[in-house]
Amino acid sequence: MFGKGLFTGLGITLKRMLGPNITEFYPEEMPNLPPRTRSSMGLDPEKCISCNMCANACPNKVITITSEKGESNKKVLKSYRMDVGRCLFCGLCTEACPTGALHVTQQFENAIYEADELKWDMIERAGKSRGRGEQA
Amino acid sequence: MGLERTEELSLNMGPQHPSMHGVFRMVVTFDGEVITKIEPKVGYLHRGLEKLAESRTYTQFIPYTDRLDYLSAPHNNMAYVQTVEKLMGVQLPERAEYLRVIFAELARIASHLVFIASTALDMAGWTAWTYCFRDRERILDLFEMSAGSRLTVNAMRIGGFNRDVPPEFWPALKSFLDDLPEMMEEYFGIFYGNEIVMARLKSVGILPKELAENLSITGPVLRASGVQYDVRKAEPYGIYDRFDFEVPVRYGCDSYDRTLLRLDEIRESGKILRQAMRDIPEGPVTAKVSKIIKPPAGEVYHRVENPKGELGFYIVSDGSPKPARVRIRSGTFINIQMLPIVALGWKIQDLIAIFATLDAVLGEVDK
Amino acid sequence: MNALNQLPLNIAAAIRSLFGDPHSIWADLTMDIISIILVIVLIVLAALILILLERKVAGWTSQRPGPNRLGPHGWFQTIADALKLMGKEDVTPAGADRLMFKIAPMIMFALPMMTLAVIPYGHGMAPIRLNLGIVYYLAISAVSTLALLMAGWSSNNKYSLLGGMRAVAQMISYEIPLVFSLLGVVMITQTFNLSQIVADQHTIPFIVLQPLAFVVYLIAGVAEVNRAPFDLVEADQEVVAGPFTEYTGLRWGLFFLGEYGNMTAVAALTTTMFLGGWQGPAILPGYVWFFLKVGIIIFFQMWVRWTFPRIRIDHLMGLAWKVLLPLSILNIFLTGVGIYIYQLIVPRIGG
Repeated sequence: MFGKGLFTGLGITLKRMLGPNITEFYPEEMPNLPPRTRSSMGLDPEKCISCNMCANACPNKVITITSEKGESNKKVLKSYRMDVGRCLFCGLCTEACPTGALHVTQQFENAIYEADELKWDMIERAGKSRGRGEQA
Repeated sequence: MGLERTEELSLNMGPQHPSMHGVFRMVVTFDGEVITKIEPKVGYLHRGLEKLAESRTYTQFIPYTDRLDYLSAPHNNMAYVQTVEKLMGVQLPERAEYLRVIFAELARIASHLVFIASTALDMAGWTAWTYCFRDRERILDLFEMSAGSRLTVNAMRIGGFNRDVPPEFWPALKSFLDDLPEMMEEYFGIFYGNEIVMARLKSVGILPKELAENLSITGPVLRASGVQYDVRKAEPYGIYDRFDFEVPVRYGCDSYDRTLLRLDEIRESGKILRQAMRDIPEGPVTAKVSKIIKPPAGEVYHRVENPKGELGFYIVSDGSPKPARVRIRSGTFINIQMLPIVALGWKIQDLIAIFATLDAVLGEVDK
Repeated sequence: MNALNQLPLNIAAAIRSLFGDPHSIWADLTMDIISIILVIVLIVLAALILILLERKVAGWTSQRPGPNRLGPHGWFQTIADALKLMGKEDVTPAGADRLMFKIAPMIMFALPMMTLAVIPYGHGMAPIRLNLGIVYYLAISAVSTLALLMAGWSSNNKYSLLGGMRAVAQMISYEIPLVFSLLGVVMITQTFNLSQIVADQHTIPFIVLQPLAFVVYLIAGVAEVNRAPFDLVEADQEVVAGPFTEYTGLRWGLFFLGEYGNMTAVAALTTTMFLGGWQGPAILPGYVWFFLKVGIIIFFQMWVRWTFPRIRIDHLMGLAWKVLLPLSILNIFLTGVGIYIYQLIVPRIGG
């Protein structure tokens, strides 16, 4: 009969109208992201051996590392910069890291005001997040 | 003088128009509201992905394939990765093959849900749109927990996967599959079964079988014109020959059948997923491949059945770690060429509906 | 309860008694000005509440809470939106017909003011008592076609023009079943006076006697105010925003106010003609009953809007001319037969 579909639709919307909301109230309730979520990169500077594998794995040359020879001829990390504006957040760098120094984090609130802030100094960020008592 | 002269109205729809998917642009000529000519213009989202591939290693290009048809990223990953594997002759572990099927079919469901949503939205069915996106969210959550990202999944690697799915993946997948029939009933109630939708889509935008074949249309659009052709059956890739599923075909050739066919495909994908979940063996998910991928010199073409059509990769290797040439055969780029032929003589509202049933994603059209 | 029911009338009488002669021209003028201000306040209040309610209903149907940031449960959201609209730049597109472009939103806003002025909100509470109330209402509401056409033509935009043309085709077609569906009520009551029609419904609301006319009027009324599923005029998927495409800031806001005012007006007329207006059990004052009924009609319109997709323009015309018009004519015929039978029977059984 013509019109049956119309009433079925009205019934569905009425049911949903009376049913519960499923909205996530984001700024008040933070989402619980699974540990594999690639939202940001985090660096553990102590673990980093400056092998440059991450920089080579990156498709977009986001990562630049400088290091200097320390005592017993081991490389010591001097600076670790990421140009996040070009980052695809593909996670290939974290897969390439042999020591697990570079890892993904679930910190997704990366919005910033200035284009310059897209150039992350990873060592500085690691210090900051440790200061906040978070897992880097 | 008076009203002695009538004039055709040429209207520029897009790239910024509320119902153009992405940045598609058409220059449409109307006689009143009746279409007399359409010129589709593509290229507003052209990023030169084929050229970018030549300066990336084989592994580094995988995240770029996510950005082709960004609504079903695992399919693009799979098409590219399988092409490289074909060139190298890699044999995958069983579990990786099954996981690929699971990812691909989940992505097919997600992509078709967006299709239903956007088709409903192009006819102002706002609520149907939100329902489809609500359920797609569960698939995206599955992707997120296993691969780490929701849209640009970047799940597959040459030789399998980079890691196995977490244990909580399986119960979530099972509960999604259990709820799937109920969801489809809801979509049918609010969208497909609605008389207004039927009146707007039935016998509108007829794409005859011969025309579809001559234009080399693929995917659901072709199957809605009565051609039983699916790469999964015609030229099985991966382990698709092990699954028992139908290739849905409809013979109406109109917009409504193109829309309904997607619902049939969701049902069949659910069937494949249940079989894959039942049969998946334990074991490793990565084949033994060297860290630096260096395929032998040569060329290869491989194609898969994307939710939107046939997606093919043609790769020429010169033996170096970077491909010498990559060519992408994307389904929707070829499918949208039916638009200027099929939509002629229909009204502006039908043009929007016909374009919606093509399910064009501009990331894939413009590459 | 009776005191509450009579409260507006008593206030009016008190204001009149301030003048030496309570029925002098100055007293009448004061009362008219107060009535007009009240109608404007009604429209603005209705728009403020309805815009938010619309968004809430949209949210509820899709399992969201709707606006929820400003004020308790987001109830101040529309006020913030209105303030934002006032702050927007007023753009007149190049090549526009400036005069028409500027007049169109004013007409659109003025129309519901004029139509709502003849609606009886309670016993003896019609701001303007007109003997030809229905005819006046229909005549005024038909002018909104002109406002939309003016906006569409003067914007110098092809989308606006397409929308304006659609408005003319759609609204003129739907005028006819709209008028014809009201004729049945007029045949029963033998009057065009809205207050008299409401008074005649004190035993039984006309929706019971005229169910067919009620359905036809409800559908045609939705089409007349360009709401989904008949919102072809401003169909954003096809013609961007139709006649409103080029409007910004407060001019666009006036269109919006006018649209919600028209929606209120259609719901108010439905209530008056079919649902017994302010008549209702004496547990609530008459004007509360009136606004409750209006609210139910408006909620139904919203519910339909957020469920159905948009109809196609040729089906829209077909619905008006091939379905609604024959149905309303059938209704007139049935009403005539009914009245004839009633007049035959009632004298014989001593009614």
